[in-house]
Amino acid sequence: MTRTDRHREKLIFGGGLTARIAFASATAILALGSTAAHAAGDVKAGGDAFATECAECHSLKQGKNKKGPSMFAVLGRKAASIEDFKYSEAMKSSGIVWTADQIDAYITLPKKAVPGGTMKFDGIADAKERADLIEYLSTVK
Amino acid sequence: MISIRFFRGFSAVLGLAGALLAATPAHAVPSFARQTGQECAACHIGAYGPQLTPYGTRFKIGGYTDSDGKSGKVPVSGMVVASFTHTAKDQPEKPADGYSKNDNFALDEASLFLAGKLADNIGSFVQLTYDGIGKSTALDQMDFRFARATEFQDKELTFGLSLNNNPGVQDPWNTMPVWGFPYVGTALGYGGPDAATLINGGLEQRVLGLSAYAFYDKSWYAELGTYRSLSTWSQGKIGLDKAEDPGKLHSGSAYWRLAYMQDLKSSAWSVGLFGLHADVQPDRHSGPSNSYNDMGVDAQYQFLGTREHIFTVQSSFIRERQGRDALFANEEATHSVGYLNEFKLNTSYNFRQTWGATLGYFSTIGSSDELVYADNIRQRPNTQGETLQLDWTPFGKEDSWGAPWANVRLGAQYTHFAKYNGASNNYDGTGRNASNNDTLFLFAWTTF
Repeated sequence: MTRTDRHREKLIFGGGLTARIAFASATAILALGSTAAHAAGDVKAGGDAFATECAECHSLKQGKNKKGPSMFAVLGRKAASIEDFKYSEAMKSSGIVWTADQIDAYITLPKKAVPGGTMKFDGIADAKERADLIEYLSTVK
Repeated sequence: MISIRFFRGFSAVLGLAGALLAATPAHAVPSFARQTGQECAACHIGAYGPQLTPYGTRFKIGGYTDSDGKSGKVPVSGMVVASFTHTAKDQPEKPADGYSKNDNFALDEASLFLAGKLADNIGSFVQLTYDGIGKSTALDQMDFRFARATEFQDKELTFGLSLNNNPGVQDPWNTMPVWGFPYVGTALGYGGPDAATLINGGLEQRVLGLSAYAFYDKSWYAELGTYRSLSTWSQGKIGLDKAEDPGKLHSGSAYWRLAYMQDLKSSAWSVGLFGLHADVQPDRHSGPSNSYNDMGVDAQYQFLGTREHIFTVQSSFIRERQGRDALFANEEATHSVGYLNEFKLNTSYNFRQTWGATLGYFSTIGSSDELVYADNIRQRPNTQGETLQLDWTPFGKEDSWGAPWANVRLGAQYTHFAKYNGASNNYDGTGRNASNNDTLFLFAWTTF
């Protein structure tokens, strides 16, 4: 989430817990909508991309964290929200909600998307491969 | 890892190994998996060590310290190897006390490891092994590491130190002898060439070395180190047989390594150079020394894909120049200079990180010498052959039973010798042929 996004959140919902829940729900809906916008991805190819690029460090099982957190139902999830996973401070303070666009930006250049993050991954340059991967992740829920 | 280690003793430092071999497994221990939260397959081809994936290579370079960030991990693992060995023809003598000339079942060894993160930047891979053949316990492979990651010109730079007891044990690729195929070998048959270069186990566990290394941009690797020999008193204290002391290393021994790797995720490759120079004085009190200059080149390719089908090729070539001043002075060599060349080419296929097949070709060729190779009718060490291994590794994946606490590999390994100790036929003058040493080795190898 960018500074502008956070400012917009504050303007619309204020800072209270209820407001945050409402914002999270709305964001999740937007995330799903955003996923639909990325529906051009190929799920099969995305599964292969996950196995090649991600599976060493990320599980698809709910509650199963490896070196990286579980990717189960990641779309719509707030960053750094899995309680028993140790995130970097940068990720905790990022305010990101994992919409398809945010995932796309993150896996393009992780260190640019979250400076100070600890994920040891250079990113995926191929836009089609990223779209496939996001499409595949949208099915894991 | 399990790697064939030869009983070399004194003769090892001449480039000769004992006729029979001892297995000394190591590497790929579940405490690493528990520490990182990842399965064995993340770091190892075929979900079992020691063959490393690019991720496993970086884990080792990182000092065995990478983790999932959670505390309370105990860096301790265990390993047991049991086997059956059959040779094509009975061996001339019993391979070890308590065993027959052929068809031997054995508990090869049991090991305890201190393997994993000890502090933020310090990790270890230390193995204490009970040798079930020799009925003794000793310190086996040891590699304490300090590693620290930083950035240089916006690229990742890892630099570190390794305190170890075997030149090459610290190497993060599987092309050098210490961690090369075959990863487990028979102690009661014939697993490979009789003669070996110094870097191929001639000093293992008898020395202590310190090396510094740097790994830049996840590709460039450079390392430089030096070794000192342990005193015979120290060797005895860590459980080694003092009678097999190779001698005293003079100061100035050098180990070096240069390599370049590319991790393309669906594939990876590396090329490298390495070397070891050591002057070894067999008589620790006085007398001349033998000088060894080993230089090697290596390369490997891994097709990793989605990890369902994995294909690898590894190759290495080592040329050793032996300055045999001590041997010559003691009338144990007719030539004051000799050469030994070792070539290996291995290829493997693994299906679903479970079913594996590896075919390896080995060739050791050396210059002739009437005294150094007095037992060989051609007075040469030349040995050539192939090793085929089929194995099954049912666990070690994310959904495996017992993960990340248990893993096991069951395998069948067959080694064929086209030439042994200089000849295909009657290599020792008693009528024994190279193919008589063909060895079937069935093994069960478990780690926990």
